[in-house]
Amino acid sequence: MNNRLRELRVERAWSQADLAGQLDVSRQTVNAIETGKYDPSLPLAFRIAKLFQLSIESIFEPGIEG
Amino acid sequence: MRAVHQRYHREFFPAMGAYVVLMLGSVWLLKRIDATWLRAIVTLLPVLPLLLVMRAIVRVVLGQDELERRIDLEAIAISAAVTGTGYFAYGLLLNAKVIAPLDGATVAIWVWPILMFCYGLAKLLFVEPRYRGEAE
Repeated sequence: MNNRLRELRVERAWSQADLAGQLDVSRQTVNAIETGKYDPSLPLAFRIAKLFQLSIESIFEPGIEG
Repeated sequence: MRAVHQRYHREFFPAMGAYVVLMLGSVWLLKRIDATWLRAIVTLLPVLPLLLVMRAIVRVVLGQDELERRIDLEAIAISAAVTGTGYFAYGLLLNAKVIAPLDGATVAIWVWPILMFCYGLAKLLFVEPRYRGEAE
């Protein structure tokens, strides 16, 4: 799955730690999502979408699955 | 450090400290008492703080975020497989009388430390690196 999390975060001049704090997750988790190492659960994806006031599909999009 | 891990440290280290003190105390006492019922109580004393350690571990796992829980779950699964397979292989070697047996107490006492050691190694070397992206 691809996502625009890093782009959206940088637009707001937030650090990974800032974003992690607002989502109540670790910075490691934000980093893993941004770099595509981990796909968040649906509840976390909804929290991310709500924080950025966007729809989930405008942040996450299906990638090429192996 | 996140609040959930700060709480874990506040709960884990005092419990481990109490474990060490009670373990040393029970070893010292066991050399000086003979009654079986009393020896049973004294030797099991260090298990009490270990229950607090278990509580701290359960609370930190439940309090972590979803990726942290996943990392811990994968690491403990690898650790269980390695420890179980290692003990199984050890049993086969004993059964074939290839190696001299250790006493049962030593074998049983080392299960938990080996499990935890393998968990730490698996987490550090195999699991966490899989979820680590490039630095910000």
